[in-house]
Amino acid sequence: MFSLRGCGRWVAASLAKQHVPPPARLSGDSASAAPGTPRYDVVVVGGGHAGTEAAAAAARCGSRTLLLTHRVDTIGQMSCNPSFGGIGKGHLMREVDALDGLCSRICDQSGIHYKVLNRRKGPAVWGLRAQIDRKLYKQNMQKEILNTPLLTVQEGAVEDLILTEPEPEHTGKCRVSGVVLVDGSKVYADSVILTAGTFLRGMIVIGLEMHPAGRLGDQPSIGLAQTLEKLGFVVGRLKTGTPPRIAKDSINFSILNKQTPDNPSIPFSFINETVWIKPEDQLPCYLTHTNPRVDEIILENLHLNSHIKETTKGPRYCPSIESKVLRFPNRLHQVWLEPEGIDSDLIYPQGLSVTLPAELQEKMITCIRGLEKAKMIQPGYGVQYDYLDPRQITPSLETHLVQRLFFAGQINGTTGYEEAAAQGVIAGINASLRVRRKPPFVVSRTEGYIGVLIDDLTTHGTNEPYRMFTSRAEFRLSLRPDNADSRLTFRGCKEAGCVSQQRYERASWMKSSLEEGISMLKSIEFSSSKWKKLIPEASISMGKVVSIRALDVLKYEEVDLELLAKAVPGPLKKYTQCRELAERLKIEATYETVLFHQQQEIKDIQRDEALQLPKDLDYLTLRDVSLSQEVREKLHFSRPQTIGAASRIPGVTPAALVNLLRFVKTIQQRQAAMNELPKTGQCDTDRLEKRQL
Amino acid sequence: MWRGLWTLAARAARGPCRPCVRQSSGAGAPGSGATIFALSSGQGRCGIAVIRTSGPASGHALRSLTAPRELPRARSASLRLLTDPRSGEPLDRALVLWFPGPHSFTGEDCAEFHVHGGPAVVSGVLQALGRVPGLRPAEAGEFTRRAFAHGKLSLTEVEGLADLIHAETEAQRRQALRQLDGELGQLCRGWAETLTKALAHVEAYIDFGEDDNLEEGVLEQADSQVRELAVALDTHLRDARRGQRLRSGAHVVVTGPPNAGKSSLVNLLSRKPVSIVSPEPGTTRDVLETPVDLAGFPALLSDTAGLREGQGPVEQEGVRRARESCDFLDTVVTPAIARSPNGNGQRLLLVLNKSDLLPPGGPDLSPELPPHLLLSCLTGAGLDGLLEALRKELAAVCGNPSTGPPLLTRARHQHHLQACLDALGSYRHAPDVALAAEALRVARGHLARLHGGGGTEEVLDIIFRDFCVGK
Repeated sequence: MFSLRGCGRWVAASLAKQHVPPPARLSGDSASAAPGTPRYDVVVVGGGHAGTEAAAAAARCGSRTLLLTHRVDTIGQMSCNPSFGGIGKGHLMREVDALDGLCSRICDQSGIHYKVLNRRKGPAVWGLRAQIDRKLYKQNMQKEILNTPLLTVQEGAVEDLILTEPEPEHTGKCRVSGVVLVDGSKVYADSVILTAGTFLRGMIVIGLEMHPAGRLGDQPSIGLAQTLEKLGFVVGRLKTGTPPRIAKDSINFSILNKQTPDNPSIPFSFINETVWIKPEDQLPCYLTHTNPRVDEIILENLHLNSHIKETTKGPRYCPSIESKVLRFPNRLHQVWLEPEGIDSDLIYPQGLSVTLPAELQEKMITCIRGLEKAKMIQPGYGVQYDYLDPRQITPSLETHLVQRLFFAGQINGTTGYEEAAAQGVIAGINASLRVRRKPPFVVSRTEGYIGVLIDDLTTHGTNEPYRMFTSRAEFRLSLRPDNADSRLTFRGCKEAGCVSQQRYERASWMKSSLEEGISMLKSIEFSSSKWKKLIPEASISMGKVVSIRALDVLKYEEVDLELLAKAVPGPLKKYTQCRELAERLKIEATYETVLFHQQQEIKDIQRDEALQLPKDLDYLTLRDVSLSQEVREKLHFSRPQTIGAASRIPGVTPAALVNLLRFVKTIQQRQAAMNELPKTGQCDTDRLEKRQL
Repeated sequence: MWRGLWTLAARAARGPCRPCVRQSSGAGAPGSGATIFALSSGQGRCGIAVIRTSGPASGHALRSLTAPRELPRARSASLRLLTDPRSGEPLDRALVLWFPGPHSFTGEDCAEFHVHGGPAVVSGVLQALGRVPGLRPAEAGEFTRRAFAHGKLSLTEVEGLADLIHAETEAQRRQALRQLDGELGQLCRGWAETLTKALAHVEAYIDFGEDDNLEEGVLEQADSQVRELAVALDTHLRDARRGQRLRSGAHVVVTGPPNAGKSSLVNLLSRKPVSIVSPEPGTTRDVLETPVDLAGFPALLSDTAGLREGQGPVEQEGVRRARESCDFLDTVVTPAIARSPNGNGQRLLLVLNKSDLLPPGGPDLSPELPPHLLLSCLTGAGLDGLLEALRKELAAVCGNPSTGPPLLTRARHQHHLQACLDALGSYRHAPDVALAAEALRVARGHLARLHGGGGTEEVLDIIFRDFCVGK
């Protein structure tokens, strides 16, 4: 049933020379800890968007890392839409990039249509987005992964986990110490990250047919799902889908609305000034719409559509054309025709995700304007898969149940490449920190969309595929795509060591230039009439006697730094040299006054997040605390790590929070006592640190 | 508007120079957290009430209310006249204390106002604090959490406080529940629904406007909803009479024909000789006001000259004043057969005095008399009935004081509703949609503090209910 192609095909390993040489290659032995059994700091299971980021992040942090995947040639595969980014998702990519993650850089090398969405709605909600060439992305990602120092890639399907006694100083009923492959061979590891995507008991649905598969043409992971269930993890089921693919040359584009890319293209990564391709060489997208005939075909054939009938939870938003038609009848729905690659013959009809039997899909497609003669190359299909209730993991993505086991990506109930990548980076960093016995790297919701994503998942769980929206972020004006580096790069460097020197220097330069520029803009003050004379284009309100700072003038919509520097060239000219710097100064000016207020609120929240709760509290049996049974159950399930997280669980009252404060005190006292004791586990840490030297 | 508002807030939060503050606290730089205030002594009638503030703007708040005085010496009590910073109206002569951080209860800059415990004073000071930029009413348990965060509470103290705060929040919860049933609760809920819907539509425009097809006019619809909401809030806030009544007490005027026994009634109700009583008509020539506690309500009781054509210029002026005071009274008690003094729909209690003079066989009064009470100021017969009737009237005017701490609630309400209204104003002037949405979020946050709710999920539910978005 499983393809056993995992037996020891070693691909890649550009190991740094100062590194402990890899142990003997896989030999299929099954004796526990037998000499020669491979051993790593971190093993990542899965080579999708979460897995690649996790493996690369762990390696960047200095951990010897193994990436286990079903097939090396599917590493970096974009299984669904041929695009990255968007509103909210683009924010996540910027943050992944700020931590030196891969996807943004790879997208800058693989895009074929770059466009920033929401241009007129304010820089806080700009959505960096690009159509990506699937083939190029995969190639570039594989090149990157196979050339990452300390990172080894191996093909193999993981069937089981190796479990041992738990570490007494941590919670959890056991500890993971490696994985067992389908062929019975073992790999030992100090931390294991599972990024199984839709492969846990994955089922593909087309019409009434169902096949076990993680992705069209790939086997699901069944043994692993069973293992997790046996360990006591709460498993749920979700569904998602993907549209059919259409032959490019069978579409009549001439009658459709054409969308052209931005000129110039804005790169995803902070370290890139430009993207690999010129705007004029990029491909357009086209827009068409559904019509009543499409509704008819769907409604007439609901009985042939088991994906739609099933009770497995789909999202409240409408991912499939069926749900759109059922919930919003008698409307025309948008269908974007997106290129799959620079030389690809395929078109991806965004918005047409469907699970009808294949022949009906083709029939439906051909009633759409421009697609009258369209040829369907591959049918759309639905996927149903297991996910693990994310309230079972901590904000560092380690599971409560099994020590040193981390989950990232769709396995936690999210949807989307960017959401997966964001979790991957965090899991990779934390798996590595855990091995090095360092405190976890947690991004707060006040610091990034990554924090919003993980906090939402770990405190509220989810019962639909979780997708990022900017409306989920309370501090949207602070968490902007432009400033992700100043929010995360320095922390990533200092606390995790996951950031390259080049990036760190770039971020430092930007930070100091911004600070300098802002204080310069604050220091230049003229009367409103003088400003009016200097910049006649600006609608500066007259009549105010007080002088106006250059920073306030920059707030006007029609004023940018270029214009300001023309008026006051002496001190400001130099800030126009770098496009990004000039733009960021303008953005800082736009939001200056509002952000001041938001900072207060952020501070209040951070204060509550500094109050850590002990991880080993048994809320159900705690005595001498007046907590209602309902609150106890909620706390027991979500296991908040801070007072801040506890306060966001619905139903946890202020009184309950104050009751919890005493436990914060306990942990503070415990830590104080720990600091006085001679360091335990010293030799272990030494060993690990030596290895990284 | 938007910019002005925040600049104001920023300036206030930056506060005056505070030499005693740790340098590390950043002296009010962005990110020092909000400044909170609350009544920290028990609610209800008490001799002294203690109002506390904590946070970087505490010093500023203290100076605003005691302006233009300098901050008092740290940690020692000083007597100051408290005035409303906006109206300049004196509030109370009070003991104030200044605790610069970190040597304070919470570890932050704190100020304490020990004011006279009357509800009018407490409510006045709370409202004045709410109007100081940078200050907001504390949430339940917030002082404790701040104290804890700064390492100011020992384990035993935390345990003790937990119970206290449990009781306090329980009371607040009950209070909130009562409000939710009340008229104001319904209003708030309605406003919150409108606002959430408007916000959801703006959010949908941001998150899906470009990729998915939203219907035309999503933003325009939100705009008009916000406009209507602003008008409703403004009208509500302008109707300050309800608040006014509690601060100085409801106005009860005793009026009627001369020699009906108005002054006797006033003396009886206030339990002290306020007015001179004589059998001669026209004894009272001016309006005499006295604050009384009527059936548990603070009230201002006015005795007036008898309504007749006066005999001399002094009495005529007295009558004129009596009629004038009837124009802004809340409840009229007429101890005699009377026409309604004016037709403004004020509450009128008709009291027939001197019931002791009636023949014992039963009142022989003309049948077309409106509903009335019989009273004898001489014997006290009928007083209980009058008090009960007054209680009902005042409850209708002031709200029932036994159903929770109305002062605190009122200060909170005014603070958050005003802040909500201000934010709606900045919505209309926001330069981009992200800023406009932020203004709505701030506005919604303030309403949520009054009626609960306010989560993101609610917004997403509306987005996905109203729009076909996602892919």
